[in-house]
Amino acid sequence: MKQFIKLRVNGESYEVQVEPKRLLLDVLRDNLGLTGAKKACDFGNCGSCTVLMDGKPVLSCLVLAIEAQDKDILTVEGLAKNGQLHPLQQAFVDHGAIQCGFCTPGMLMSAKALLDENPKPTQAEIKEALSGNLCRCTGYAKIIKAVEAAAQKMQGVN
Amino acid sequence: MTKYSVVGKPVLRVDAKSKVTGGAKYTTDIVLPRMLHGKILRSPHPHAKIINIDTSRAEKLPGVEAVITGKDTAGIRFGFVDTPRYPADECPLAEDKVCYIGEGVAAVAAIDEDIAIEALKLIEVEYEPLPAVFDPEEAMKDGAPKIHEVIMPAATCAWEDWGVPRKARPLEIVNNIATTFNVSHGDVEQGFGESDYIRENKFFIPANAHVCLEPHDIVASYDPFYQKLDVWLGHMGYEIKRYWLAKTLGLPITKVRTHNVYVGGAFGGKVTTFPHEVIAGFLSMKTGRPVKIVLSRHEVFAATCSDHRIAMEVKTGVKRDGTIMAQEIKMINDCGAYRGSSPVVMFLSYSYSKPIYNVPNIKYGGKGVYTNKLLGNPKRGHGLNQIRFALDSQIDMIANELGIDTVEMMLKNLYKQGDVLPNGDILYTYGLPECIRKVAEAIDWTNKRGKHNGHGVGIGLGAGDSGLPYWPFAASAIIRLNHDGTATLYNGAVEFGQGSDTILCQIVAEELGLKTDDVTLISNDSELCPMDYNNWLSGGAKVTGEAVRRAAIDVRKQLIECAAMALETKAENLEIKNRHVYVKGEPEKKMAFDEIVRYSIQKRHGDCIIGKGFVKAVDEVEFYPSISKGTGRFTEAYAFSAAAAEVEVDQETGRVKVLKLAVADDCGFDINPVNVEGQLESQAIMGLGDTLFEEVLIENGKTVNPTLADYKIPGTVDMPELETISVQTVDPKGPYGAKEVGEFARGSVPPAIANAIFDAIGARIYSLPITPEKILEALKGKKK
Repeated sequence: MKQFIKLRVNGESYEVQVEPKRLLLDVLRDNLGLTGAKKACDFGNCGSCTVLMDGKPVLSCLVLAIEAQDKDILTVEGLAKNGQLHPLQQAFVDHGAIQCGFCTPGMLMSAKALLDENPKPTQAEIKEALSGNLCRCTGYAKIIKAVEAAAQKMQGVN
Repeated sequence: MTKYSVVGKPVLRVDAKSKVTGGAKYTTDIVLPRMLHGKILRSPHPHAKIINIDTSRAEKLPGVEAVITGKDTAGIRFGFVDTPRYPADECPLAEDKVCYIGEGVAAVAAIDEDIAIEALKLIEVEYEPLPAVFDPEEAMKDGAPKIHEVIMPAATCAWEDWGVPRKARPLEIVNNIATTFNVSHGDVEQGFGESDYIRENKFFIPANAHVCLEPHDIVASYDPFYQKLDVWLGHMGYEIKRYWLAKTLGLPITKVRTHNVYVGGAFGGKVTTFPHEVIAGFLSMKTGRPVKIVLSRHEVFAATCSDHRIAMEVKTGVKRDGTIMAQEIKMINDCGAYRGSSPVVMFLSYSYSKPIYNVPNIKYGGKGVYTNKLLGNPKRGHGLNQIRFALDSQIDMIANELGIDTVEMMLKNLYKQGDVLPNGDILYTYGLPECIRKVAEAIDWTNKRGKHNGHGVGIGLGAGDSGLPYWPFAASAIIRLNHDGTATLYNGAVEFGQGSDTILCQIVAEELGLKTDDVTLISNDSELCPMDYNNWLSGGAKVTGEAVRRAAIDVRKQLIECAAMALETKAENLEIKNRHVYVKGEPEKKMAFDEIVRYSIQKRHGDCIIGKGFVKAVDEVEFYPSISKGTGRFTEAYAFSAAAAEVEVDQETGRVKVLKLAVADDCGFDINPVNVEGQLESQAIMGLGDTLFEEVLIENGKTVNPTLADYKIPGTVDMPELETISVQTVDPKGPYGAKEVGEFARGSVPPAIANAIFDAIGARIYSLPITPEKILEALKGKKK
């Protein structure tokens, strides 16, 4: 039986009718057309579907949409503001931290959660924070570099 | 490299912004009106007759639009190999029997995924289990279960369709031997006779998986009124995909259009045609509605393909000074239930390795053997990984036993620049010695080697082609100069992460005095782009890049001719810079590109300036090298790599920590240095996974680790220190000197780590992955 739920995603409110078993990832992608978060492993093993829920990174393939009611959801589509890339996005672009790009949205969201919590992470802390996000293309080196660079830049801004 | 203004520079990727904002569209993101969702029912048996399939209950389920079985698709065949000798042996859905766990037996199209899954549960399949065989040695014995009897060719095979004037013939399978490969040069018996020292070892490389983050997927949309199929799919080249979709579905090739989408990783694992792709097309034609099939991760692991399982016996004879005199290799490729790329992987393992050591007497023999398991297909390096692990492990053993430094022994046995290989290929550039020296230096070889104190260093080598003669043999490109003086490139390359979109725009910008942003790219669309070589034959930079360069040169020539007419001077007096044509030495005499376009249209009968370029992968040959005998030209330019590893081994737990990986690559010229670094870092880490973690575990035919929790790929916490080194030899055949960079460094990593482990603990591991259990076992053996 479908039910109406209210979701707040990237600062906008949505009302959708979904079955209680529907995953947040599927509702974001299929109902809201926010296809940045990706389904890659089906079981919360790869991090490609990472979004922020009240600022904390969650695997949206393991969260029911109904559990996300009354929370602030941030997806990769909500990172850039007024046509300006977020410093993390810009750092990924500048450092070549992207290849096929399928893991990138999840990687960015995990990195954002890290920097929000810990603005000056060590390299080990970055690796730890991104340890649940798998990438098969880059070998991670440029991703780590990009997160370090973004952290420095955001320090400068603050 | 200062003579260029755009190539050779770390230009930012043109696809980066769309990929960081979530805007990049992949097949999995494609949604079409009235789209159905397809699901496949798969066999739980490794080998069984299909007695009956009852689909009546599934057909009655509301929301189900079509149900098909092997009866509907009977007779359709496809495969990675379809030659006069080896007719294609795969089918979209099993017909009379199933040959591996995971083979499709029926498929459903329904209005949503839940209904499609529900419908699968309502299909009743009656099987009669047959004896199955999982070990290739057992499979070759008389009396073993027969997996295939006679493989019948279609009316024409692929090679015939592509121009080889030979008819395919039925292939009778004896003792489950799917394929054979034999090549020899010189006289191995004589070579062993002249050797002072001979070593024989057995090695085994298991199946590992590609693990592209984007699962295999397709959206197929058939329009019955135009009899045309539009597809979006994860792939590595549209020429091969649309050829097979057209052939299997009975459509003219131009009635299949592959659309441009980003591909979420490929690594060789998306090039072959897969059953689900033909099924999606078939279901769309049956229903007249778009059908989307996205495989689950479980299906990707257990029902697409893996890299190849290869057992190898290697016998090498050397002089006391380390000169290799003879080498004999016997390979058994456990190819699984269908042939996959079995004959090719054996041929390529020979061909890729050939330009490394100059071995005067060689004999390679290989057999591909059917078993009731998942099949093998290309994966990054396609055969190089398997053979380098064996060969460079053994070279290390021989060097250690003769008291020769491994690096010295490797250097002693290499070819030299300018040498000609037995098949006629010429080594115009040969950066391998420099790659070896650079990685040895980077890993501090001299100081760290030979301590056996739990801490060790090791080295391995790799090589490969930069485009080989395979269909469609050539690449082409069209460039249109626009009203505002910018350019639009039409080329068929597919971007799956390697960076082709960016380097092709760089090439156009370089030749036309533009910025990369001034180039609009129309790529990877079989209807909008001209014929292309595509991106699964290691020729993306060299072959496709050269075609694009030639198209840009054609445009430049026309611009200059037109400006010469307008400025009333000779073409040789003119140069191109910053979207203008200038008279050399007189910078005030100039004409902007937009002015030239207008002038050309007005004064030259409407010529709006369009350039074209084309090039063959290997200019001198018309068709393929022989994949069963290894004869014939193979490539115009080999790329080379060397990797060195530093490891620490915990002798209590057997745990290996890779401290550092240094990878050097001779890719000729870095069109984009950041892309080159990215490719090498990628392969270093993938090679680390190959060496320490990765194996598709199959027990009695069943894949037992089909998730990313159970099949571990390297994560951030497994990263060692990485150093990448580009050795630029500037090849005369490639654009700006560029060769291949995307796949052959991977194969140099496993022997580097394995040899470092030996250096650390004095014990040798002969199979991958090198798990703690194997290390503890080897240490126990050493103590005995």
